Amino acid sequence: MTTLQSRQDIDSAVRPAAPDEESLSRRALTGERAAWDALIARHQRRVVVSLLAKGLRVDRAQELAQETWARLIQQQQRGLLPELRLPALALAQAAFLASDDARRTRRESVDGTVEELPERHQPVDPAQSAEKRLLSEEQLTRARDALEQVSPGARNVFLLACDGQGLPHAEVASRVGLSVQRVRQILCEVRKKLRTALEEENHV
Amino acid sequence: MSSPTPHLTRDRTEQYLLGALPPEAEAELEAHTLTCEPCARLLQEEALLEEQLYEVAAATPRDAVVVRPARWHRPAAVAAALVAVAASVFLMLRPGGETASTPVTPVEAPVVAARDVEDAPRDIVVACPDLGTQEHCLKSASARGLLVYHPGGQGEVPRYDASSGLTQVALSSRPAAL
Ligand SMILES: [Zn+2]
Repeated sequence: MTTLQSRQDIDSAVRPAAPDEESLSRRALTGERAAWDALIARHQRRVVVSLLAKGLRVDRAQELAQETWARLIQQQQRGLLPELRLPALALAQAAFLASDDARRTRRESVDGTVEELPERHQPVDPAQSAEKRLLSEEQLTRARDALEQVSPGARNVFLLACDGQGLPHAEVASRVGLSVQRVRQILCEVRKKLRTALEEENHV
Repeated sequence: MSSPTPHLTRDRTEQYLLGALPPEAEAELEAHTLTCEPCARLLQEEALLEEQLYEVAAATPRDAVVVRPARWHRPAAVAAALVAVAASVFLMLRPGGETASTPVTPVEAPVVAARDVEDAPRDIVVACPDLGTQEHCLKSASARGLLVYHPGGQGEVPRYDASSGLTQVALSSRPAAL
């Protein structure tokens, strides 16, 4: 531990996940509201986007995202949350609420009544509610090929930002030594390439 | 509410999804999608692509993620650090090891001596960024004949300088004494 250049850099290099995500999760599991708020702020967008992706309108997506956090906090208060892995758990909870919502809507339109669904108290197991794959194998292959073509730096930024831990862009930026703006620029560039790859017609 | 809000563009929608819009612009965009069906659909499609990108990232082998040590210690320091328990795992190519740009080869970056940043690169070091992928990293490293060691807290900061791009140079490499 000699000649360390910068505490902050060391931290970002050595710490596995987002530096305070872990401690935030720990504190949230003890019921600390401020920790929950910080986690919600961090992961809210991803949850909303996941709901938009399911075809929800933005206002409904935001409502369900709120509901998602409310449920998770409730589960925590009831001692039903042994661990808190975000954003995966929130995404699973949101997906559950969205399909619940869809079912309810269907039922409503069929017989004009809303049947109360049994309240679930069980935390959603993200592994169990394994999200449906959004991409076919071919698409995935094409996307990965396309990813091979982007510069390693850009790929690195993309993988850091999209690694499922919900790393804030500011943190991605500090890890790679770029500005947030540049990180977002890179993400847009990679996104364009992958969009093209995913949209390609299936031909053998 | 008299003047109609503009339709969404793809760029603007991307900015929104990235969280890059100022709050007012964000609110305006959201409000617009509530009154404009085509834009609502555009937003949903772009959100779906966003989710797909997460799937792509999740399906991409983690060992391709590499950080570049901006600085590195000389061999003695490196060896000394081997005893330390690491928080992240670094892979070091054997001397003469493959450095070519095979798809599976992690991004390589030159390692620079501590005192002289501009020094010629000496080692090829690749790093797994986090503990979550460490095991996979270790496995694929040994599969590829890479030396693995734990630099522990020693450390100059592995950081990837994306702007400098990748130097795919074959570098003379010190094997890490394991
Ligand atoms: Zn519109």
